[in-house]
Amino acid sequence: MEGEKICLMGLFRDEGQAVSAVRGLKDSGEFHLERVHSPIASHDLDDALGLPKSKVGWFTLAGGIIGFFSGFLLAVFTATRWNMIVSGKPVVALAPFFIVGFEFTILFAVFGNVIGLITQARLPRFKIYTEYDPRLTGDRYGVLASCDAPRRNALSLFFETKGAKVKPFKRAST
Amino acid sequence: MAEELTFEQIDKTVFDTLRPPDQGYWTLMGLLFLGVLAGAGCWLYQIFKGIGVTGQNNPVHWGTYIINFVFWVGIAHSGTLISAILHLFRAGWTNPIARAAETMTVFAVCTAGLFPFIHLGRVWLVHYMIPIPNQRLLWPNFQSPLMFDVVAISTYLTVSSLFWYTGMLPDLATIRDRSQGMRRKIFSILSLGWTGELEQWRHYARGYLFFAALATPLAISVHSVVSWDFALSVAPGWHTTIFAPYFVAGAIHSGLAMVLALMIPLRKFFRYEKIITVKVLESVAKTIVFTGLIVGFAYGTEYFIAWYSRNSIEMETFRWRAFGDYAPEYWIMVICNTIIPLLFLFKKVRTHLRLMFVISIIVNIGMWYERFVIIIGSVAHDFIPHAWGLYRPTAVEFGIMIGSFCLFFLLFALFIKHLPSVSMTKMKESVHHGGHHGG
Repeated sequence: MEGEKICLMGLFRDEGQAVSAVRGLKDSGEFHLERVHSPIASHDLDDALGLPKSKVGWFTLAGGIIGFFSGFLLAVFTATRWNMIVSGKPVVALAPFFIVGFEFTILFAVFGNVIGLITQARLPRFKIYTEYDPRLTGDRYGVLASCDAPRRNALSLFFETKGAKVKPFKRAST
Repeated sequence: MAEELTFEQIDKTVFDTLRPPDQGYWTLMGLLFLGVLAGAGCWLYQIFKGIGVTGQNNPVHWGTYIINFVFWVGIAHSGTLISAILHLFRAGWTNPIARAAETMTVFAVCTAGLFPFIHLGRVWLVHYMIPIPNQRLLWPNFQSPLMFDVVAISTYLTVSSLFWYTGMLPDLATIRDRSQGMRRKIFSILSLGWTGELEQWRHYARGYLFFAALATPLAISVHSVVSWDFALSVAPGWHTTIFAPYFVAGAIHSGLAMVLALMIPLRKFFRYEKIITVKVLESVAKTIVFTGLIVGFAYGTEYFIAWYSRNSIEMETFRWRAFGDYAPEYWIMVICNTIIPLLFLFKKVRTHLRLMFVISIIVNIGMWYERFVIIIGSVAHDFIPHAWGLYRPTAVEFGIMIGSFCLFFLLFALFIKHLPSVSMTKMKESVHHGGHHGG
């Protein structure tokens, strides 16, 4: 039978200390690394966590391809409704329609980018974690880890040796 | 100095700007609102009386409305230059001014977008420009550069607004986490539940990079498309291949000048001295010298090509520009846009805030006149002498123009007191990476 789990968050002022804590937690067998928060984008923390490359770009690419054909074909469609030669140009004129296609490429690529961003980052999220500290969007890096209740002091000591202030959270999980 | 800045100080400095405003602020807002009302009144008058209340008539059908349209689209460009193009080049000095410049872009495109509506006269027929089936089964002609413009400007407004909002997301969460009551509720919704989790940052950083990569060709294409409104018609002075790069450089020139004109007072009123350092403003001034030289080169090239072509109509158009009825406007353009910015070559000038402010206003005046010279000059004096004519704006046009300036500054003034006018996240990244923000 598993006992009560507790969560502790190590709040760091320094990114290097947070990176060191993440590496230490991943190497330790007894603590479970839950989440990491940062006030800025951090490549060092990404590397320490071993996060894969984001897939947002595929959404952007898909949006761009759909956009180009949408724009170009929209121009072709509107031109072929009447089939009238204007200013001696062909009804389906490639150069001007390419411009429409280009603008739609950018527009739809951006839509794809936004859709990719909100789906991948799971936004919007109107219920914020209970294990959260307002300073995480200010000047602190937060490393949240869990362990069995009896190992609480060991986890707390681990964070303190890495240079963190420790914030405890109760979690009713098994 | 960058070394003195901490994450905490950055947050505090920006937070101080969001305190309830004093009476002076509301007085300014009231005056700007009156200006907007005056502009709206002039437009209403035009709608009831007809487009004849403007000075637009044969042969000049594109007057101040199109001048202002091109002017405001131009102003919008430096926001994208600063936050997208220079972001890709990793120019850290732009971080303190990126947010305000992006905001300027969004509001300038909004203001610009009004002018085709005003110029249309019968504004209720605007849906004819949208590709939807209407009662006469007519469709827009996408071979027309005016339709390129509809697509380009709508795309630019959408993309720059999304770019602006996405860039602000982490900052909105910072404000949420330090607010109480109604403000907290509002910012909870606006921040979409951002918590700064690494999983969020991973996708955000990638998405932001793509935003910048997409906004860059878009900004260049938008002003190129605006230039083709002119270049694709066979009028002397307009029908030239130099127009696209010439317009893009001019747009960035005027936009950077507007950045200086907005940042210098903003820095003073909000005590942003440690964030928006003189070095940052100096970098903007140096870029203005560069864009001013490109614009000057384009002015010279136009004359060279007119002379080299041996085309009598083209030669006469450019002779008339410099020595004809609009010669004062032409020389205002040349002096304000190419000669005066060269004063920024002197360190004393480009580090003297008042002088910088004055020069930035002069450049903006010059850039407004550039559009006057291009748009009015060519059609007022084209192929057939008996069709020549002159144009002067009427009070209605001036009223609408003043209204547009008031609208832009009103929106900007609203923004700076309610949303973070400096990107806290970008500033923190600057400080984190060694303070390369011009400090």
